[in-house]
This record gives sequence, structure tokens and C-alpha cells, in this order.
Amino acid sequence: MDFSFSSDQQLLRNSARAFLDEHSKPAQVRLLWDDPRGESETLWKEMAQLGWLGLALPEDAGGSALGLVETAILQEELGRAACPSPYLPTVLAAMAIDRFGSAAQKHRWLPAVAGGGARATVALMERALDFRPESIETRADERGGKVVLSGIKQFVPWAHVADVVLVPARRGAALAVYVVDAAAPGVSIKPLTSMDPGTRLSQVTLDAATVAAEAMLPAEAVPFLLERGAVGAAAEMLGAARRCLDMAVEYAKVREQFGQPIGSFQAIRHRCAEMLLDVENSHAATYYAAWALASGAEDGPLAASVAKSYVNDAARKVCGDAIQVHGGIGFTWEYDLHLYFKRAKALEPLYGDAEHHRELIVRRVAR
Amino acid sequence: MDLNLSPEDRAFRDQARRWFSANVPRTELTTLEERRAWHRTMYDAGYVGMGWPKEYGGRGATPMQQAIAADEMARANAPAPINGLGVGFIGPTIIVHGTPEQKQRYLKKILTAEEMWCQLYSEPNSGSDLASLRTRAEDKGDHFLVNGQKIWTSGGHIADWGILLARTDPGVAKHKGISCLLFNMRQPGVEVRPLKQITGSSEFNEVFMTNARAEKRELLGRLGQGWEIAQTTLGFERGGNSMARVTRYASAFDRLVEAVKKLTRGGKPLLEDPVVRAKLGKVYAEMEVQRYAALRVLSALQKGDSPGAASSITKLSYSEFEKRYYELCLEILGPYGQVTDGGLEETTLDVDSSSGVRSSWAYAFLWARAGTIYSGSSEIQKNVIGERVLGLPKEIRADRVAKA
Repeated sequence: MDFSFSSDQQLLRNSARAFLDEHSKPAQVRLLWDDPRGESETLWKEMAQLGWLGLALPEDAGGSALGLVETAILQEELGRAACPSPYLPTVLAAMAIDRFGSAAQKHRWLPAVAGGGARATVALMERALDFRPESIETRADERGGKVVLSGIKQFVPWAHVADVVLVPARRGAALAVYVVDAAAPGVSIKPLTSMDPGTRLSQVTLDAATVAAEAMLPAEAVPFLLERGAVGAAAEMLGAARRCLDMAVEYAKVREQFGQPIGSFQAIRHRCAEMLLDVENSHAATYYAAWALASGAEDGPLAASVAKSYVNDAARKVCGDAIQVHGGIGFTWEYDLHLYFKRAKALEPLYGDAEHHRELIVRRVAR
Repeated sequence: MDLNLSPEDRAFRDQARRWFSANVPRTELTTLEERRAWHRTMYDAGYVGMGWPKEYGGRGATPMQQAIAADEMARANAPAPINGLGVGFIGPTIIVHGTPEQKQRYLKKILTAEEMWCQLYSEPNSGSDLASLRTRAEDKGDHFLVNGQKIWTSGGHIADWGILLARTDPGVAKHKGISCLLFNMRQPGVEVRPLKQITGSSEFNEVFMTNARAEKRELLGRLGQGWEIAQTTLGFERGGNSMARVTRYASAFDRLVEAVKKLTRGGKPLLEDPVVRAKLGKVYAEMEVQRYAALRVLSALQKGDSPGAASSITKLSYSEFEKRYYELCLEILGPYGQVTDGGLEETTLDVDSSSGVRSSWAYAFLWARAGTIYSGSSEIQKNVIGERVLGLPKEIRADRVAKA
């Protein structure tokens, strides 16, 4: 049993950190915040070249056939850099197509994702604040050998730059996930302005959007997307939290009041110790879940819910406490803490909020 | 990263599981002699002092195998071995710092529980500031003369020996004048008075030493090395066996689920109440995180990495969790959670607590207050984490200023 990263995993983390320290500096993040598109084509192409986009995809699709642990390592680094990027929804959708899709779907989308030529997203929420598959109202009706989708999907991450959207919908009594070309007639995408400009969200309206009957993944793709999305989001939140902890500790060492560094006061030091505890526990939760899902362990889905619901609270607290340790400067727009604070908060309600995952836990453990 | 057990560890787990299910006592052990007999049965089967080197009677087992055995013990609801302080860290401390004669004299009898041990560290005025302790051990040429008072001495009332921190040189800086003695509790001049705790039971004691005697050969390590030795033992203690703890929490969770199925509100079982479900889901997640964190510590130990100051994170994490956990259990159970007797069918008196005692919810709830105080309070752990893990500047303390 070994909970530590292998040397290859360590290498991946180090190179990702070095790359993002150079290409996703806070100043660059702020430029993208003000950009209408919100993400960088150059950065995306570089990620493809580094092999990040095909990390978990098969080799014949141009990927590296690595697993969720490696993906989580990258996601943690993206969170640590508060990098505005459709990375998470894209790899999530690609993993679902790889797992459940037909040969034609894989051929159409996977090499394109791995090569940086396509972005993807997943539409897991509707108007109801509810992630249960049974709450999905979007309809899929058969018409002339095709399927016509009607419904409204809410808070879809990075839909405005996506080439393909995975859309869960109800076909009679049965649920399925449709693979919808974002440019198809009947699909309209309305971007929202939200608290974290590094996590762009849209409302996606399907007004008789027509797809081929076979452009479909089975219902199991819904929990698959929620579980893997939960772990990916947890990893990003963990990265944001660790960055905030590092900044708070550095600040507490150099900021002096009453003639002493404030880190020498127990009020500050104890808060930092609690932040470290939350970060280390979040690390254990995130990577346990990534490993458990990747290896097909029995408790994989449970661990994903544990990780998301735990890290949601822990990351918000750590990032918020970092602002508190900094005092007034931490509350200013020019100081970088809010980049991470907002990133962590933005991911909290996505891929299943804490209430949803806690309910899933209870269903599994209290029968 | 691979969290699967190795084939050897899996075989070991299966073997331990079979052994415990076949050998766990069917009746409750009440007397010390019954518990000692069970301890010897476990010792003979190789489940006591597993991590000790073979030459001292252990089996040189890996941290993983020790955790597996502790976990199986908890899973089978087996009574804990006795002499936990002796086996868990006083013996290992003697292995590190003792002379060949001391090892010969004490170690085997610790393992077999033929001699019971306690820890004589805290004093009424020296709790978190342990180094300010005032118990004196005066050099009388051929022996030390010991005078002073210790407190919070677990198992003091049944101990034959104690590992004692006493001041041998009042003239030097407080950390430097302390020595460590292997102290005979069975002598005139030693009086042990049980302290009744908030649980109503008496695991703790006060120990009064009045002109008591320690032989020169009973000095552990060098004169003045006591503080350093104490750090060794506290390190063993704080590393703890967090895996087995989590197994006990999980066993209590099963009792909680049984209870919320029986108890009702608005004509429906509490288990169907959305507020109760949200609380259950939250606390279960926290409990699982303790388990993952314990696995991570174990993996580091397994690779030979000493957790050092990071063991403070583990101790802080599980002890603070434990308070929140049993608080939440009692919050859900209402007055049912506070019943300690009276035969209500909804209230089990079979709840696992981290002390290893199975008792009422109330006992587990009350006992949880101990964990954030003993072996370095949460506040002390946060100081250690802040200074030694995060590298924050030391606080300016009156006793450090005075020496400057």
C-alpha cells in the first residue's frame, strides 16, 4: 500500500506547476477575467502539446492512457493557479465518451479533444437545484428516426466555448445522455456573469435541437459524470486552498505588528495550523477518491461523495481564513487571494453540491 | 499511488480475522486477572508488541501489519490488551534508550503484562508546560530520593512501574535539569489516589511520592536527558493507532443507524428526516476522511518515514473529530443519547468509544473530551504544527525571555 505519488506522478506535478507558474500567473489570470471568451487558445494548444488533454484517453486517440490520479494532480495545479480553463468539463466529457460511447463517437471526439481541437462540457443541472437523475426534465422525443431535445440546462460550465455538450435527457421513462453538437440548430447558449470570472457558466436552451438517434450514451453516464466531476472539482478546490494556505503562512512570517511577526501570535498560528489540517485532510480525501474510482474499488462512488462534500467546506474555510490572516490587504481587488477564494467557491455547487453528495452517502451507508 | 493491500498483507489480515473471530472471549472480562489472561492469549498468538524487534520478544511486524491487527481487533470487538502504555511506548522507549541490563530486566514482563506500567509526567502545576515540573529526584550517592506529586496518571492504581520525569538539577535551564527514571510503584512512600472523572469511572490517578527511592541502575539514559526521552515517548503516543480508532467510530456509526431507524418523529423513523440525513452524511464523510488520512500516515510509516511533528496533525484531526462526532450522535438521539441505564430498547449500552470501553452513548460523548487534552492538548498540537511544520516564528514567551 502506498499513498504517495510515484516518481512519474511527482514529475507530472512538478512540470505542471512550473508551466503554470510561467503561463498562468495572476496577472495573466486577470487578463482572462476581462476577456469576453475567458480562456486562452494559446494556453489550450500548449496543454494539448503537453499531453494534458489526452492524459486519461487511450493511446490510439492520441492520449496517454493514464488515470484519474494523474488527472487530479493536474486539476490541483490548475486550481492552485486559478487558471481559467475548460479543462475539467472537457476531460470529463471525453472520459464519458471513452467509457460509454460508440466507436464512431470516440473517433469523432477523442482525438480532437486530445489534440486541442475540441472543447466539451457537461450539462448536469436544470432550473431545479437538484442533481438527482430523477429530477431531469429535458425531453428527448423521437421524430423521423432522429431525436429532438427540448429543455433548459442551467450553469453549464464553459458552454460558450464548447464544441460538444453532453446533455442528460428523458426519452419516455428512460434516461440517456445525448452527445450534442454545440453549433446544431436549436441549441442556444446564453453566458452568465458570475462571481468567479475564471469559471464561466451559461444557460443552454435546447429548442427542438435535433441529434441522430445513436448520438447517445447510456444512463450510467450520469453518475459517472457526477462522480468524476466531483473528484476533479475537489482537486481544483484543494489546489486553491493550498495556495491560500501558503500565502497566509508566508504573510504571517513577515507581517509585523506590536513589534513581532503576526505568525508568532497563537491566534494566527493556531488558525494556520487548522488550515493545514483542512488542506491535508482534503488531500487525503481527493486522492483516495481518485484512486478508488480509477482502480474500480467498491467504495469509489462513496469516496467521490466524501471528497466533494468534505473539500467543499474545507476549501472555502481555508481560503476565507487566508483573507482573515491578511487583514485589509486580503480584502482588496489588487491582492491575489480572491482569485483562489472565488475559484473554490465557484466549484462548490457544481458536480453535486454538499447536500447532494451527503444524501448519496446516507443512501449507501444507512440502509 | 496504490492503496491495495499487498498479497502478504491480505493473507495476514485474513489470518488475523480468523484468529480473532475464533478466540475473542464470549463473556465480558471484569477482573484484571481475566484481562491479563486474554492479554497473554493474544501475546502467545503474536498480536501484542508486534512492532517490537524480534530480539526483544516482538515480531518486527511492519506498521501496516500492526494496523491490520489493531483494526481486526476493533472489528471483532475484542477487548484491548492491557499494559497499553507499557507495550505502546514505554517499552519502545526502553529499547531506544535503555542499557542491556534494563532491557533484560523490564521488556519481557511488559509484553506479557506480568508487570504493569504507567507514565508519571504531568503535575498539578505542569500540564502543557511539562518542562516546569517540580518533582525532585535528589542524588543520594547510591540512589535517588524522590519527592513530588504527579497527576492524570492512567492506570496508576494497577501499575507496578512508572516511567518518571523528575528534576535532578534545579540549577540549570528547565528543559535541561530533568531526568527519566524507571520507578518502582510498589514501595513505601508511594501513594496512589484514584480520580473520579466526568465519565464517573476512574482511569486516572494522583500519585504522591514522599521520600520514595529509585536506584541508580533505574536511571534511563543520561542524567539530564529526561526531556529528550520524553519527546521520544510523546512521539510514539501521538502517532497513535488511528486506523483502529476509525474502526471503532465506524462501529458506533452502525449503532447510530440502528437507533435512527427505531426512533421516530412525526410518525416516521428519524432516518427519513432530511435534517437527520444531512447530518449523518456530513459526519460519515468526516469519519471516512479520518480513515483516508490514517492510511496516508500508515503509508508514510511503512516507507520508513518518521512522521515527526506531522503526527501532531493526525492527533489534532482525530481528537477534534471525535468530539464533533459524539456531539452529533447525542444531538440526533436527544435524551435517548444520555441514558446510561434503565433498559430502554432504543438506547444501546454497547457503543464503541475510543478508550476501547464499550458503554453508553453518554460515556463515549464524555470520553471524547479527554482526547483533545491528553498527550498534548489541541492548543499544544497547534503550536507544534505552527512552529515545526509550517515554520512560523516562535512566540515570545516569558520563560524564554528570562533566559535570554
